[in-house]
Amino acid sequence: MSTIGENASRVDGPAKVTGAAQYTGDLEFPGLVHVKALRSVHPHARLVSVDARAAEALPGVAAVLTRADLSPQNSHFGPVVKDQPIVAVDRVRYAGEVVAAVAAEEPDVAEEALDLIQVEYEPLEPVLDPIEAMSPGAPVLHESRVQSESRLDKGHYRYEDRGNVLTSYSVGRGDVDEGFVASDLVFEDTYTTPKIQHGHLEPHVVAASWDATGKLTVHSATQNPSSIRVQLAELFELPQSMVRVVVPYVGGGYGGKVHLRLEPLAAALARKARRPVQWKLTREEVFLTGHCHAAVVRIKTGVKRDGTILARQVEAVYDTGAYALTGPSTSRNGGEVSGGPYRIPHQRLTSYCVYTNTPPTGPYRGFGVPQVCWAYEAQMDDMARRLEMDPLEMRLRNLVHDGDVFVTGDTLEAVGLEDCLRAAAEAVEWRGGAEQAPRAAGPLVRGKGVAVMIKTTMTPSHSSAGLRLNADGSATLLSGSVDIGQGVQTTLAQMVSEVLGIPRERVSVTLPDTDVTPFDQSTSSSRTVFSMGNAAVAAARQVADQLLEIGAGELEADPADLELRDGHVQVAGVPERRLAFGDLFRARFGGAVGSLFGNAGFQSRGGVDPATGKGKASAFFFLSACAAEVEVDTETGKVRVVRLVTAVDAGKAINPRQCHLQNQGSMLMSLGSSLFEEMVFDNGQPINCTFLSYLPPSMQDHPETFTSLLVEHPHPDGPFGAKGMGEAALGPVEPAIGNAVANALGGSRLKDLPLRPERVVEVVRGGATDWGRSLQGLP
Amino acid sequence: MKREMVLNVNGEEHDVEIEPNRLLLEALREDVGLTGTKEGCSIGVCGACSVIVDGRLVSACLTLAAACEGKKIETIEGLARDGELHPLQRAFVQFGGFQCGICTPGQIMAAKALLDHNPNPTTDQVKEWMSANLCRCTGYYKILESVMAVVEGKVDEGRRDEAVRQARIQSLYQSDTYKSNASD
Repeated sequence: MSTIGENASRVDGPAKVTGAAQYTGDLEFPGLVHVKALRSVHPHARLVSVDARAAEALPGVAAVLTRADLSPQNSHFGPVVKDQPIVAVDRVRYAGEVVAAVAAEEPDVAEEALDLIQVEYEPLEPVLDPIEAMSPGAPVLHESRVQSESRLDKGHYRYEDRGNVLTSYSVGRGDVDEGFVASDLVFEDTYTTPKIQHGHLEPHVVAASWDATGKLTVHSATQNPSSIRVQLAELFELPQSMVRVVVPYVGGGYGGKVHLRLEPLAAALARKARRPVQWKLTREEVFLTGHCHAAVVRIKTGVKRDGTILARQVEAVYDTGAYALTGPSTSRNGGEVSGGPYRIPHQRLTSYCVYTNTPPTGPYRGFGVPQVCWAYEAQMDDMARRLEMDPLEMRLRNLVHDGDVFVTGDTLEAVGLEDCLRAAAEAVEWRGGAEQAPRAAGPLVRGKGVAVMIKTTMTPSHSSAGLRLNADGSATLLSGSVDIGQGVQTTLAQMVSEVLGIPRERVSVTLPDTDVTPFDQSTSSSRTVFSMGNAAVAAARQVADQLLEIGAGELEADPADLELRDGHVQVAGVPERRLAFGDLFRARFGGAVGSLFGNAGFQSRGGVDPATGKGKASAFFFLSACAAEVEVDTETGKVRVVRLVTAVDAGKAINPRQCHLQNQGSMLMSLGSSLFEEMVFDNGQPINCTFLSYLPPSMQDHPETFTSLLVEHPHPDGPFGAKGMGEAALGPVEPAIGNAVANALGGSRLKDLPLRPERVVEVVRGGATDWGRSLQGLP
Repeated sequence: MKREMVLNVNGEEHDVEIEPNRLLLEALREDVGLTGTKEGCSIGVCGACSVIVDGRLVSACLTLAAACEGKKIETIEGLARDGELHPLQRAFVQFGGFQCGICTPGQIMAAKALLDHNPNPTTDQVKEWMSANLCRCTGYYKILESVMAVVEGKVDEGRRDEAVRQARIQSLYQSDTYKSNASD
């Protein structure tokens, strides 16, 4: 009974529906003190003085942490460059930056103590816009670029030493200038996407303590326990074995809980207080702790009259906020695929990671790709309209296929993109060129749109797994992959059970505890099924080989003739000749004792050369399509999504129901950022940091038709053919909705997200704007 | 000034000593020790802290614990009886109405409050009622499906197949684990 492809019920289900599942904020620690942070009111200022004496004297205060407590060696951290101080040192670089923190017996005492801290600022001119930040006279946020050692792709960034541009990435092929000359039409547009917030329902939370041996233990709602252990060890000058990171269930992440966030401050404060500390962010603070990179994307494309794309030039600017976090990686990731999943002979693609005096960003589901997908897919529809072509046909004419060499140099494998696009279009009853017909007059107009996306996964990266088979034939998988909701314990159990021939209920999968679980790069980049899955399968195969070897001796058979099934080793096709795993243990150990071990690592190889932008950009590529139908109220500007369909190439869906949940979650998240989600700032002050003013979509925003489709083109390197897919459905949703709106409005294009009612009304009143503007060669 | 009072939670009486401004959310989590009720937004918007007080759905983050003295408080921990999950809980597991699970107790309590008053809501009524419970993981489709499965009496379909499957696994391991089946 194969469990691959089965909608296995989730092992964490009973715990999560009864309230028994424990999250970091549910844990109790004896002697715990509570943390509150004092945050800067200025987006950019020199820190003149910080006086915490009165706060320290307040009864109930265990410790106050300020810059005076930091030594030069352990003051700054960051996954790519170490630019982020534990608390502000000489400057504050965004409104909301932590200047000091208090640990106290009760949260309200900590709050009271914050009021007693005297801080003197000397305001500096802030730079809030990434394009302004790139200009020569702009205030500079960071003078140095101290690189971190914590990532495998350390050498894969091109650092810029000028101003606020931290890194850049560029790649190309052919001769883009010649390509434009040879084109019949050339289009040039600029698209923008705003800062949006992950909105994980569980705010960031951490608990930290030091024991008498000097060991640091951190319980954290983090997506990458192994990496933060490495960075905490470096920061506090400890062997990695003296840092323990434990991750219970995590209440959503979507990238927002990747890399060090609260942990360094909590650890430093616990050390000073000599007490365990717990720091739970308020919802407002979550908005100050991470969000999605805003982007400005300039895209120029040359096409032949028959719809063939000849040349494309992209410049994408990513606003990484005041600190880099993964900005260099996010912007490179976006740059690599900014030409789209198309065969384009001449390309020049460039992206920049730029500092501004806004809160730090970090990964967000899609990791830099939705920003460029919004641009290239919107322009694709405008070009099709100008060429009087069906936008679906124009895409099909240019799509990449198996064996194509991508602009990064990767040879594409298992490309199910055409199937995805056709399936999504069919699901909204796409009628070809007829979709472009003018709409009848009236306040409510409908339109349809399609879009496709290609995305890379973090490469190179590493996952290790340990498997222990017990004498009763049950197995324990030691995995450091985080359950952030994707159901990792269930899918990994399915894969191990398949290799060992035991029911999935007999496989227990750990949650991360770095004292026990081996290294796993990160639970992000939709990499767990592919990378940890490969490691788990390899570890299970080691155990399977041992079972076959023992069984061969006992059954006097060739191991090659044996198979593992239903907890037995048996001669293939001869079920009478079989032995239970327990018997194999007795044969090996003399009784119901002992363990059989498997330990395996999986490392994806590759990376890109920062000089050329080329190499092996990705262990596999995400491929997806979306089709949408909208109804636009031309009087109020309100957009209602009527139908939303995505199709994702999962390679092989290990647990289809969980894949659909990932798609559906991506779809509604992206519906929100298409229509209304946006962090709003006033002179650098974020002003909508609550769920009342920044409201994520609710069940009432659900389209009438809401469909997730799975396409399966097995990947040769994936476990059972599986690729990652957790982010794949997100990218094409915004442009598909945008294209549907433009289609409803006869081609009038909104180039800035979100598609707020007043923007829709503006473009309706202005009539068709500059869609399809051609810069040369007009017939 | 702290005051002693009794909170009736899930049919059990709990003596607590709390400040008059203590929120029901804090009292449940910290004084009674039931952490199934979660805090998401702290302003009554996200629904993660939904509990039922005297039959009415409330946000525990906006409710004073002292105001619940003498009332019947229902939380997620009280739904399962004698080890048997409530039909809504079974539905959320069977139909996959959750991912990270942090909003799930609130979703289930909100659905329970609805079904307690109206066992036969339409899909639109469920959507409207449940729109005060945010979820960022699932896209809501399978939450809606889970609730409607209870309404339509579909929860236990498929349970028989699962029981057969479990019985098979039991028999495999009870009969065979330490006993050789190999014919000599």
